[in-house]
Amino acid sequence: MTQKIDAKNQSCPAPVLMTKQVVESESPASLAVMVDNDAARQNVTKYFESQGYDVTVNGTDGLFEVTGTLGTEANTQANADQGARPEVKAEANSADNNAAAQKKIMIMVATDRIGFGDDTLGQKLMASYIKTLKEIDGELWRIVFVNNGVKLTIGDSPVIDDLKELEASGVDLLVCGACLTHFNLMDKKDVGQVTNMLDIVTSMQLADSVVNI
Amino acid sequence: MIGLSRADDAGVYRVSESLALIQTVDFFTPIVDDPHSFGRIAAANALSDVYAMGGVPKTAMNLVGFPAGEMDISVLRSIIKGGAEKVAEAGAVLIGGHSVEDPELKYGLSVTGFAHPDRVLAKKTLKPGTKLILTKPLGTGIINTAIKGGVAPAEVIENATRIMEELNRTAAESMEGMAVRACTDITGFGLLGHAAEMVEGTDCSIRFNTSAIPIIPEAVEYAKMGLIPAGTYKNQDFRGSMTSMGHGIEPFMADILFDPQTSGGLLICIDSDDQSSKNGAEGLLEVLHKNGVEHSAIIGDVVEKESSNKVYLI
Repeated sequence: MTQKIDAKNQSCPAPVLMTKQVVESESPASLAVMVDNDAARQNVTKYFESQGYDVTVNGTDGLFEVTGTLGTEANTQANADQGARPEVKAEANSADNNAAAQKKIMIMVATDRIGFGDDTLGQKLMASYIKTLKEIDGELWRIVFVNNGVKLTIGDSPVIDDLKELEASGVDLLVCGACLTHFNLMDKKDVGQVTNMLDIVTSMQLADSVVNI
Repeated sequence: MIGLSRADDAGVYRVSESLALIQTVDFFTPIVDDPHSFGRIAAANALSDVYAMGGVPKTAMNLVGFPAGEMDISVLRSIIKGGAEKVAEAGAVLIGGHSVEDPELKYGLSVTGFAHPDRVLAKKTLKPGTKLILTKPLGTGIINTAIKGGVAPAEVIENATRIMEELNRTAAESMEGMAVRACTDITGFGLLGHAAEMVEGTDCSIRFNTSAIPIIPEAVEYAKMGLIPAGTYKNQDFRGSMTSMGHGIEPFMADILFDPQTSGGLLICIDSDDQSSKNGAEGLLEVLHKNGVEHSAIIGDVVEKESSNKVYLI
């Protein structure tokens, strides 16, 4: 089934970044992106082409559906790779290839504060920790948020901008769906992808090192 | 001498036989996150129009739109400090300014410069047989889009910031005594848009040697990914019919050559060196490189127009 992204009312480069996020985290065999301006239509088309997708565009002035479809060969590979990091697109940008060759660090965040003692201090430490994570550079692969950790991913979290920045730089952010439901925060989540325990366990297996916070 | 009816980089008013006043104004919303860099870039951009007219900046005034309720005043201080540094580097004096409350931050300057009326450089005074030099690499609009999208790493941001902050002063001073025919600076219309503007209504067409055009390397990667500002497409719609892409030129090149530049370089039309002197294109290029305008390159030439004014890419 073709997955869909609604990128209407978004100005460049947002539609490309929305597409990029889905392509990089899920490598869908087929993905349709709705856009409402010509610049976005052309940019999403170019992005798909740069990632080895075939592109078809439907629609007229003011509303377009840009659909990217992986070729048969790449398609098979993508299916075989499901659940793993999408390293299938050989001609993807070199930064990605470097990242693939590098160590993969996964961070498991099970709390919204660091350590025991003073909670205010603990929250400050967590904010500072997340802000500083970008210094790890290419090796930081995936951050998984569970239990109280999911509270860091909601709209008014003190680190929401830092997490968005990490995500934009290519770090996968996975947020435990059951935990969001438990805290009744599902619709307040503002960054990352909802995940399940199977993904979390698989991630741990794929990572070169797992850091628990 | 030059006003609205003959749109150029700046307005020019003859004060006396030996003095022409050059006036220009430019301001925009932030293109980089760092307020100090933004101030420096905005000032370099505003000052550039005076250099493109062959003038020397003398005075400048700040223009500020600032969301006072939402943003800390220290942000504005950093912006203005950055702008003042560039005005000082240009040898001009900051003599005032005006600010308004604005939900969206904006900064720029109005700049006044002097030139000798006989040495004002317009943009449409091309001549067939001359050459074209570009003094800064292209791609800042695409890089700024990648910055906005959080895709550009720190070193790419730093490099682009350095290029955008660079005054066109040294490039302009290098033209002193050279056989320069016309000049403009590359900004919002992109290289091809400004080139089209230069030839429109003249007897000339321009022929760019595409492989000689200096480009920020990462801009190629981002252009292929579709990190292209909407302005690029507007420029293509507006001037696409005047341009002609040669065989074998990759389509993404059009996106880079129509990319709106922030504080771009000068595009200089100059005679070729003749046997007796080095005051032509080759001589100027040597001087530019010696003076540290390292990305400068001869990127094309001016030819007689055939049926219509064109910008050819070969």
